[in-house]
Amino acid sequence: MFSFFSPSNIFVYLNKIIEFLNSIIFIVLVVALTFALVFSPPDYVQGDAVRIMYVHVPSAWISLAIFSIMTFSYIINYIFRIKNLLIINYSIAPLGLLFTALAIITGSVWGKPTWGTWWAWDARLTSMIFLMFFYIALILSLKYLNDERIKLKATTALSIIGFINVPIIRYSVDYLNTLHQPTSLKITGSSTIHTSFLLPLFLMLLVFLIYSALIFLMKYKTEIIKMKRKRLKNYD
Amino acid sequence: MIKDILTMNGYGLYVWLSFAVTFFSCIFYYVKTYKELKKYEKEFAKELMELSAIDRQEYLENSKVANQIFLSKSKTI
Repeated sequence: MFSFFSPSNIFVYLNKIIEFLNSIIFIVLVVALTFALVFSPPDYVQGDAVRIMYVHVPSAWISLAIFSIMTFSYIINYIFRIKNLLIINYSIAPLGLLFTALAIITGSVWGKPTWGTWWAWDARLTSMIFLMFFYIALILSLKYLNDERIKLKATTALSIIGFINVPIIRYSVDYLNTLHQPTSLKITGSSTIHTSFLLPLFLMLLVFLIYSALIFLMKYKTEIIKMKRKRLKNYD
Repeated sequence: MIKDILTMNGYGLYVWLSFAVTFFSCIFYYVKTYKELKKYEKEFAKELMELSAIDRQEYLENSKVANQIFLSKSKTI
């Protein structure tokens, strides 16, 4: 069963999935942007600045999700030695960095009209900066460490240490002193966000997820080809 | 209505700046990733072409990945 999920077997289906995602992303993007920029009402306190939420929040969610997936993959790989997980991590790490940077930049732009400042060294913002540093350290380790054993140990350690930061980011707005508003959307318990904001938010999240899947699959495909090229050189 | 969408009641600069930064960063990274993939596909197909016919045949029979890339790229090389 595990052989079915080997990179070679998955590779055959990648083109079809990429083509399908490419064909739907533009339509979903147009619908999501229409809701986010036209149909969504202004907030009674923040006015139209609330629309920044539609790019800021999905970016932040995806950046945290990617780091969590990477840590989980590294732990599983450390125990079971599944090389495919390393290729997956190599493929999603830059995407995580992109969304972390976007969450920080759009958050800063949102901060100016709502808090009156572009930046404050409070708990949420500082912990997001730390997340970005962990992503950068992981990507640099993956790229520049040549010894495979050292690379695996270093990246596993970095992801586990960095993962400690994830719950800090999540709960910093509830328990620490911060300018950032408390959690509005809760999985358990009632959310304080109105449904008229939820629909555009989830549509934008869908766009970001399709985009992430597209980038991930193209990067994953590139990594498999790199691996095959190495084998081809040994074949000579 | 268009003026309202553009100005966003005074928040236009912040809203459009956020969307523009996100949109252009994503487009830039998409193009970069796509180009990188195509470059590696092309180079790999070229390396396969450089093998002798017998070696290439044997290699393609044993590698689904190589087979697929070679089929898609051999026409353009």
